[in-house]
Amino acid sequence: MTMPTSQTGHAGSHVSQARLRKATLWDKLLANGSVVSIALFFLVVCVVFSLVTNAFLTAPNLLNIVRQSAPLLIVAAAMTFVITTGGIDLSVGSVLALVATLSATALQAGLPWPLVIVMMLALGAFIGAIHGFFIAYERIPAFIVTLAGLSVIRGIALLITGGYSIPIETTSLFTTIGRAWFLGIPVPALIALCILALAYVVFNDTPFGRYVTGIGANMEAVRRAGIDTRFTILFVYILSSVSAALAGVILAARLGSGSSNAGQGFELEVIAAVVLGGTSLFGGRGTIVGTVLGALTVAVIANGLILAHMSPFLTPIVTGTIILIAVWLNFRLFRGAVRGK
Amino acid sequence: MTTDTYRVRMTGICKRYHPIQTLDNVSLTLKPGEVLGLVGDNGAGKSTLSKVLSGAVIPDSGTIEIDGKVVSFASPADARAAHVEMVYQDLSLCDTVDVAGNLFLGREPRRHVLGMPLLDKKTMHALTRDMLDRLGIVIADTRLKVENLSGGQRQSIAIGRAASFEPKVLIMDEPTAALAVAEVEAVLELIRAVSARGVSVILITHRLQDLFLVCDRIQVMYEGRNVAERRIEDTSIEEVVNLIVGRKFAARSAHNGHETGASA
Repeated sequence: MTMPTSQTGHAGSHVSQARLRKATLWDKLLANGSVVSIALFFLVVCVVFSLVTNAFLTAPNLLNIVRQSAPLLIVAAAMTFVITTGGIDLSVGSVLALVATLSATALQAGLPWPLVIVMMLALGAFIGAIHGFFIAYERIPAFIVTLAGLSVIRGIALLITGGYSIPIETTSLFTTIGRAWFLGIPVPALIALCILALAYVVFNDTPFGRYVTGIGANMEAVRRAGIDTRFTILFVYILSSVSAALAGVILAARLGSGSSNAGQGFELEVIAAVVLGGTSLFGGRGTIVGTVLGALTVAVIANGLILAHMSPFLTPIVTGTIILIAVWLNFRLFRGAVRGK
Repeated sequence: MTTDTYRVRMTGICKRYHPIQTLDNVSLTLKPGEVLGLVGDNGAGKSTLSKVLSGAVIPDSGTIEIDGKVVSFASPADARAAHVEMVYQDLSLCDTVDVAGNLFLGREPRRHVLGMPLLDKKTMHALTRDMLDRLGIVIADTRLKVENLSGGQRQSIAIGRAASFEPKVLIMDEPTAALAVAEVEAVLELIRAVSARGVSVILITHRLQDLFLVCDRIQVMYEGRNVAERRIEDTSIEEVVNLIVGRKFAARSAHNGHETGASA
């Protein structure tokens, strides 16, 4: 398999084969520039915290990071699809909160936990379908539709709970989703791993993933190719809301309670992870690997600053600065993430 | 002459955009495998006429026959069903998808793993390589993203994609505009290859020297009307220029153009 080089943009039968040089390592790095730059950032952040603190580079801490960042990883994977179509979903934090409170309420009412999970995922699909309908079929900008969703869904969660958090019986099997360990790995991390592997395959190796990228690059071309672009877009919002619902279930199970204030600003954290990973907000360019690295970078910064006994309020400052620098590097050095059409 | 020797026969096509009569009783005929050059100044109605044939514009009156059957196109989908394809360069390619992905957009070869439809990338790239070779399109790697290709290569992919739908008629509007010299040659070569496969081609262009390299026949339009039709061997670039501008015109560009055309 030969990799594409960026030097072969010559046409015609006149170009001799001699001018088509083999792809060098540098070409490959440039072709995946956005992933390379976030990988470097991730490594630098990890090395710095390993040197500054003793506790960072220990198995329990690393597993804890993965356990805590499972909701972020899961939703960021779905958000990569949304952003690659050129859309955005601002409602994921609110969906997470609504699902956390409703699952706690349902468990308190005595419903069996498998049924609760199925109901919550179905609720996510329903919310996503509503968003998708307005975005894909009524052509209202995704930003506005999901901003409305953010407000309404959080409002429903607050209304149901009256602002209180609802406890979940710790004896319930439901909490194993958030707390149990399997083969030495936390269950939330395992769930996240499965979702990420699935997202990677769907994004890169299925017709659906191809159309998601195509829609972001040139929706008219995809429509002319006979693909139902509206349903594809609708489905992408279903994916993101279902993933947010799954994240809500995991969070409620881990914390043992459902709070309507959960996931405040979660949507921004997710979008930050996706953009940090090199997915273009203009659509057409997305990478699941980059998203995973972006999400882990955000998680490691938060964890490392606490271990280094720094003020936790530094986290948003450092995260924001790194986002700007990483995207700027992509733009300048690799011409990847932010390039428009 | 019998009508069934024609692949396309458009007669008495009229279209008025208030207050301008864009098409005034225009006719057009096209035989199988023929390359027709459609020329005229800006606003002469060539693009509108091609849009009527591709279903994008509905005429006020007139009839269209394809292979002797009267058809009426209410949308580009209807025209496509009748095997009339129009090449839109920038409307048909996804920049961030690779060459093979663009050629097979919407009809990707699939394989199923655990019931999940996956792209059969190996087959797709092999079929793409075949298709490119058959049409003489030179692209080093079918995994290149389309955004990294030159204008001529992009145009070739767009034409190749349209040609792969087994069209009877292929309409190209300015396929060689803004291309480098070698690329124009490659695109013209591709047009020859497509017509050799029995596809009728309508070529709209301002580059008159191109017409003399690939067309069998030229139809000249002037202010919404047909003004002339010439077999390519019966005409010269000077005559075509005069027909386009609508008067006797000792155009220096015509002489230059002729030289370019002859030496190319």
